[in-house]
Amino acid sequence: MAKVQDILVFFQTAPALDVRPSAWARYEASKGSEVGDLVEEGQPPYRNAMAAMRDGWQVIQMSEFKQRTEAEGYELGAFPYQTVLSRFSEMQPE
Amino acid sequence: MEHLISSQDMARFVASGFLRYDHMVPEDLCHACREEMTSFGGYRPVGTPFEETWPKDGALGELFRLPKVAGLIHSLVGPDPLYDHHAAHLVKARTMRGPNTHQDSVIDFRKNYFDIQLSFFPVDTPDEMGGTFIVPGSHFRNVRTGEINAYQHVLGKTWATCPAGTFYVWNTRLWHGARSNHTDQDRYMFKLRLNPTQPQVGHFDMSALDDPEIPRILNTRHGWEGNEMRYELMKRVELWRYVSAQPDYDIGERFMRRREYQPQLADDQRG
Repeated sequence: MAKVQDILVFFQTAPALDVRPSAWARYEASKGSEVGDLVEEGQPPYRNAMAAMRDGWQVIQMSEFKQRTEAEGYELGAFPYQTVLSRFSEMQPE
Repeated sequence: MEHLISSQDMARFVASGFLRYDHMVPEDLCHACREEMTSFGGYRPVGTPFEETWPKDGALGELFRLPKVAGLIHSLVGPDPLYDHHAAHLVKARTMRGPNTHQDSVIDFRKNYFDIQLSFFPVDTPDEMGGTFIVPGSHFRNVRTGEINAYQHVLGKTWATCPAGTFYVWNTRLWHGARSNHTDQDRYMFKLRLNPTQPQVGHFDMSALDDPEIPRILNTRHGWEGNEMRYELMKRVELWRYVSAQPDYDIGERFMRRREYQPQLADDQRG
């Protein structure tokens, strides 16, 4: 079977690679083209991006810092930073 | 008004964006509501007085007029609320759901204001039946509806695993979503959204505002806050100041003071 890309995204409140993620998502194309039944996970698969890197994941995006203005400095919204990790895995039947 | 929520519960609502009350509804009324839900019908006129708009007869008419439920509503949105909308949410047996995290309706920046949503579970809802999930404390984070469904998993995420007759009441800005129903039974949850008609100040039982437990409640960490805990805490303090009529309230290191203390400004400039 061919190897295809799996993506793991860590959503964070600071951009560093040793920060514990607040949220996470798996886009494992090797297993299928959608997440049809989300199985709950209480803890992230790794404690931070560096732990994932030690298990073979490659960082393909690290967030830039954000400039805070007086007007926006106290506002909250989506988690401000994300780290995108990639790994190639053997494709399984969908 | 009877059955007002306590000062501590109001602080929990401010900090976490929801409250849960088990066994609010007698078993026979739960059965009657479950039967009625399937044919209850669609939206009533949005923005009309709830007391006039909501049917007075029938099980669901009785449900939202139970003294405990009425006290809960009054505590959070005050007297004479407006009907916003309702829905009987159904996840059919053996229906799978993928990522679904969202904030209801449209992005909502109104300050010193919140709508409430009452979620009623008429039958026992075990974990595998897929009760609604919520992200506690997320109600200060305004987003555009479903754009956050990329957050498949969030630290501190929890969901309704509850006995029949349970009510959840939540700030409508709370991140939430549906889950897979792995059972052979349909899963129903009846929700009702209400708007206040006057300032949401002091409608709950204010007799315990000085309880030292309140700052601890406001400082609750749900798991996901990370580097933004202080910014979350300031939002909670701002809302607590408003609902409890304590405009100078602050806690701990007093982060609000870091923003407000400016002796170089004249009194009329500080605002």
